[in-house]
Amino acid sequence: MESISPFYSLTQGAKYSPPWQDLSIIGIAGSSGSGKTSVAMEIVRSLNLPWVVILVMDSFYKSLSPEEHRKAHANEYDFDSPESIDFDLLVETLRTLKKGKRAQIPVYSFADHQRQPQTTTLYSPRVIILEGILALHDPRIAEMLDVKIFVEADMDVCLGRRVLRDVRERGRDIDGIIKQWFTYVKPSFTRFVDPQRGVSDIIIPRGIENKTAIDMVVKHIQRKLQEKSEHHTEELRKLGLIAADVELPRNVHVLPSTPQALDMTLYIPAEVETPQGNKYNGLNPKGIVSAVAILRGGSCLETALKRTIPDCITGRMLIQTDEVSQEPGLHYIKLPPQIGEHASVMLLDPQMSSGGAALMAVRVLIDHGVSEEKIVFVTCAAGEGGLKRLTTVFPKINVIVGRIEDEGEPRWMEKRYFGC
Amino acid sequence: MASQDPAPSPAQGVGPIYQPDGEKPTATVSKEISYDNVHVLPQTPQLIALLTMIRDKRTVRADFIFYSNRIIRLLVEEGLNHLPVVEQSVTTPVGRAYLGVKFEGKICGVSIMRAGEAMEQGLRDCCRSVRIGKILIQRDEETCMPKLFYDKLPADIADRWVLLLDPMFATGGSATMAVEVLKQKGVPEHRILFLNLIASPSGVTEFAERFPKLRVVTAFIDQGLDDKKYIIPGLGDFGDRYYTL
Repeated sequence: MESISPFYSLTQGAKYSPPWQDLSIIGIAGSSGSGKTSVAMEIVRSLNLPWVVILVMDSFYKSLSPEEHRKAHANEYDFDSPESIDFDLLVETLRTLKKGKRAQIPVYSFADHQRQPQTTTLYSPRVIILEGILALHDPRIAEMLDVKIFVEADMDVCLGRRVLRDVRERGRDIDGIIKQWFTYVKPSFTRFVDPQRGVSDIIIPRGIENKTAIDMVVKHIQRKLQEKSEHHTEELRKLGLIAADVELPRNVHVLPSTPQALDMTLYIPAEVETPQGNKYNGLNPKGIVSAVAILRGGSCLETALKRTIPDCITGRMLIQTDEVSQEPGLHYIKLPPQIGEHASVMLLDPQMSSGGAALMAVRVLIDHGVSEEKIVFVTCAAGEGGLKRLTTVFPKINVIVGRIEDEGEPRWMEKRYFGC
Repeated sequence: MASQDPAPSPAQGVGPIYQPDGEKPTATVSKEISYDNVHVLPQTPQLIALLTMIRDKRTVRADFIFYSNRIIRLLVEEGLNHLPVVEQSVTTPVGRAYLGVKFEGKICGVSIMRAGEAMEQGLRDCCRSVRIGKILIQRDEETCMPKLFYDKLPADIADRWVLLLDPMFATGGSATMAVEVLKQKGVPEHRILFLNLIASPSGVTEFAERFPKLRVVTAFIDQGLDDKKYIIPGLGDFGDRYYTL
């Protein structure tokens, strides 16, 4: 066990928040048939960004008891009352996402009115559009929303749309739809849905046709994202200042004085018998060693990896730095199942300068259950500032570096390797 | 589109040519489709044995990687046969002339992420310093249509022959989108070669008709698609088996 170096305690306060930790949530409420979904989809289309997710509140319906189920089939169950939604779970989910953590979104089956055993994993969205008739109803949720939208439409239009949709898409009969409308949908609209106007920031009359209002909302979100992006870049810069004066910690190894990445993984004693019947006390790897390539560059290291461990389990994540804001963004992740149980995970990136992508990648692994001390960051060349930034925030990870280079050296290795 | 119960694939005797037909073991071979621009690798005993290994659900990752790399190598070698060559005369060490050919034109690889990346090494093994671009296409959750998420391609791709890499071709949504991206970047259709391990008959037919000048080189045209649009009998998710399972 190593003693704790002064470096460690000095920098305990240094934290890294990925850009998705402070995600924007937009709530869109309005009557059934008012065109909430179309408005949500138009906002997604206009934003044209990765990681904009529409979260439909229908996913958070409570599972029905057999008695309620029977009522539902007879159109006697009130799906429009706040009682039918599991607001506690929704609040919990949104809070988890606000913290930048992974959340499990329930899957609700309308056929048997039950929450399904499987869930959908949601991780690292930058913008969530929460859409549902009661999206602004719960004050705990309203408080988390960056923009609160109420979509307004004439009630006759709403009923018309609902009839068309339910007949065409859900195969229901008109009598049942009308019965439900007057027994539940309309009273609930007056009691719960309509009052949400009062807490909304923007009321969009005529839904999807209202290009001006949608454009305003999109511009507002873009401005917010811009502010957040500047904040994130500034945080990275500050981390650099914190880390500037410290020594490189002991768990950063620079070739050729270093162990190789596979020497950083854990081994357990193993006794083997030779063909002559002699005993030899050796070592076996302790558990699974896997790797995660940070794309695009990380795949340059995969050939060497496959030559060393031909069947190494390999995850990938695509982190691209925005050319304008210089902010790294997570575009794609595909990690091995049960990665949290692996004995060690090598994170591959041929080059690291400011460390922004590396910080993000380590954070993603930790969020997927890999503990910090199991991560071995492998890079051919790194700037000293970036290394310090990374090890200041994550003091327990191990780092293998081929060469320490000047700060701000542009990424050239993958360009040469791929020839583009 | 695919029917619920696609017609079975042909079964035939597979073995070395000197073996009498009656003694050859029977195996399922690729379906035939009659498009000039679709080239199926010869159904040799070796290829069928390799495909048998990678289709077997019991095959572990190390073997899956090894045997699929071998098929990928065969695909790349065959793909290179579809590139134009020019006359080239050389003098041998014994002073005699030999009239041969050499490759003409510049090439590059483009992998469709993630499974297509598994084919990059095979290409690099044959073309040492080949440029390789990447395209990431994902299914849009809202519209269920393939959507381009990311691409990084050589700047002069319009002047190159492009070897497009994707091992599995089911409905062909991603490959079609990738070809559209390449064409937008100025790559003429006839300079695109699509290298593929296993294709569905309906997908590859539609693709061949849509892009009549593009060439497809595939190891096998499978029986069909199931109702979830998975290739059957197929081999499962290539990316999962190669990288993570």
